[in-house]
Amino acid sequence: MFSSIAEVQQKLSEQKYLIDRTVATIIFLALKLQKPLLVEGPAGVGKTELAKVIAGATGSRLIRLQCYEGLDEAKALYEWNYQKQLLRLHIGQVQNKSWEEARQDIFSSEFLLSRPLLEALLADESIVLLIDEVDKSDEEFESFLLEILSDYQVTIPELGTVKANRIPIVILTSNSFREFGDALKRRCIHLYLDYPSFERELEIIYLKVPEIQQALGRQIVRFVQTIRKQKLKKAPSIAETIDWAGALLNMGVSFIDEEIIRSTLGILLKYQSDIEKISSKVSSYIPE
Amino acid sequence: MEAKILEFCRLLRRGGVNISFTQIADALRAVSEVGFCQNDFHTALCSILIADRADKPLFDKLFRLFFLSLHKQGRVLSGRDAEEEKSSPDGLPAELAQQADGSGMGRGAGASPAILLIKAVREHNRLLLERLAEVAVKSLEPVSRTNLQHMDTMVVQAKVAIGWYEAVNRLERAKGLENIGETVYTGWTDSLGWLEHRIEQLLEDIFVSMFGGEAIEEMAEAANLKEKEFYRLDNLEIDEIRRRITKLARKLASKYARRYRRAKRGEIDLRRTARQALLTGGTPVRLRYRQKKISKPELAVLCDVSGSVAVFSEFMLQLVYTIQNRFRWVRSFLFVDVVDEATPYFKHEDIEAALGDAFAKTYFSYSGFSDYGRVFTQFANNYLAGLSPRSTLIILGDARNNWRLAEKDYLQTISEHVRRIIWFNPQPRDNWDKEDSIMRLYAPYCRQVFECRNLRQLEEVIEAIL
Repeated sequence: MFSSIAEVQQKLSEQKYLIDRTVATIIFLALKLQKPLLVEGPAGVGKTELAKVIAGATGSRLIRLQCYEGLDEAKALYEWNYQKQLLRLHIGQVQNKSWEEARQDIFSSEFLLSRPLLEALLADESIVLLIDEVDKSDEEFESFLLEILSDYQVTIPELGTVKANRIPIVILTSNSFREFGDALKRRCIHLYLDYPSFERELEIIYLKVPEIQQALGRQIVRFVQTIRKQKLKKAPSIAETIDWAGALLNMGVSFIDEEIIRSTLGILLKYQSDIEKISSKVSSYIPE
Repeated sequence: MEAKILEFCRLLRRGGVNISFTQIADALRAVSEVGFCQNDFHTALCSILIADRADKPLFDKLFRLFFLSLHKQGRVLSGRDAEEEKSSPDGLPAELAQQADGSGMGRGAGASPAILLIKAVREHNRLLLERLAEVAVKSLEPVSRTNLQHMDTMVVQAKVAIGWYEAVNRLERAKGLENIGETVYTGWTDSLGWLEHRIEQLLEDIFVSMFGGEAIEEMAEAANLKEKEFYRLDNLEIDEIRRRITKLARKLASKYARRYRRAKRGEIDLRRTARQALLTGGTPVRLRYRQKKISKPELAVLCDVSGSVAVFSEFMLQLVYTIQNRFRWVRSFLFVDVVDEATPYFKHEDIEAALGDAFAKTYFSYSGFSDYGRVFTQFANNYLAGLSPRSTLIILGDARNNWRLAEKDYLQTISEHVRRIIWFNPQPRDNWDKEDSIMRLYAPYCRQVFECRNLRQLEEVIEAIL
């Protein structure tokens, strides 16, 4: 997969995802030790994106499981295709098959609907399994995950134990919406993705919006970084910085002033109270 | 090296970080993958050992002290030369270069250090800031082992020596006068924060170089917030404990939800089952169950908010109101020598704001000294009607009555009216019934009396009573 930390960094930057050495080291370790990678951090720093680029860089298929309250095994692991089974039974009746035959028929893998987790275990190719926003799921589901992530196998009562053909790369993301259990946390390698530094964010802007003028880019990033430090309901994410930069470029702006910021602030901030808070003092946030 | 890592894990545990055996094994494997280059090594240990983000600062501190300061001679780690080769003091203002050796630090001699500090902060001059940190630390009296417990006082002294407070004051004024923007001002506060942190680091280094591993161990222990007594917390630590209480509350809330789900169905409801069976020709295909009623306790919290106990009361209120949906209702009362109800303020969603309001707007102090007797009298006379035999009354206080009348009969009246009284005392058990503490007089009327002086005990008792 990756033979060195530097290679991780390089392969991911080929995917247009810039990381520093710390992040690269953690990814490298997670892959080497074959442990799940738990990515935490504020919304919009690119947690989900990270899973995608790791899949891209390792040439793996990405399987995504979005967690939500009420997600259960049937939705995450497998389900029997009930309708298809009914049909089969019906045909069986016509052909006068015995119960024993029918039973063996309808509980075969043909009638099994694999959901993301089972799919990841059964796949023959290399897999990145993204379990997104794991903090949104319930506690029961969490303990169930624990079982899968420790042995990479599950037991389906009618079929027996299914073991992973090859151990998938597992990436969990969390917004710390809920505190989830220590046991699951301890099984993972931890990566805390924070907002990037000034230089890093500038690089990202140049990478994603290559036509932008250097001076404007610096101004944009400086402004965003300053308002991130204010107490906001939701600080602007990297994606929003990129959108803003793109918008300003399209507007033909060459430097930002109070008026431009006021009229475009909605791109950066999503809450009315945040917008009001920043626009009331816009002048003091404008970088020289 | 393995032994060192194990020892380091032990240190972390002393500091209150939970580390499992598997984690240690993984850490060893990880280190063998990345090698001993300082940054990678740090990253590897941190990503495996630190499961909770809140423990990261402690990890960084202990890592620095243990691997960089203590075992520097052994050179266990490579690649930290950049920091060691301190740049020569060229380019520094002459006054400071002079002061760096510790001489000329008398007040008023030469340029005031505050002016240099302001200059350094405004220019973001890391080199100058670093020098100032060194000067600040050198100005201190020689340290002794006992100083270790008073690290914060020493930091303050060091800051005073370089005119910190004067500089901060002037910078604030300058912000207003010169119409400085937020961008620049944030930069200033960052620089100040960096300097303060650096002073702390230098101080810690001094202790480690003088007293070795024992000093680190002591620092780790001091950092263990779970064991730290409430009245000793500084502001940063109080914030941290608040966060942890929110976490604890969430844990408690979800734990309840799990129990609730499992026992949701009660016994079979024969009447409804029979009626349902009529639909299926008399065969009871579906069983009907009685819904289990969850009895939610009623809770009243009576909090002493006099100086020594205020922090603890605040934590308790925060905890109780975060999980208030677990109770039929929660009422809260604050007192020092007068008691007043604070319940209405907690109608806010924002508990922090509610706490601020409650403390600002309720009338709980007449003389400023606790008077339990008077409070119980008043409570029994005015507020009992709002409590029922199903209510649990929690009293938070140290039972230090300032030699006033105990009025325990009134506590008895209260105890006969409610289901139970539980008393949390934030003082060490050994101090109960000494001086003006009259815990023994009140204890007979309480179902349970707990010592509750740090976060660990708070967690324990809360689990015990819920």
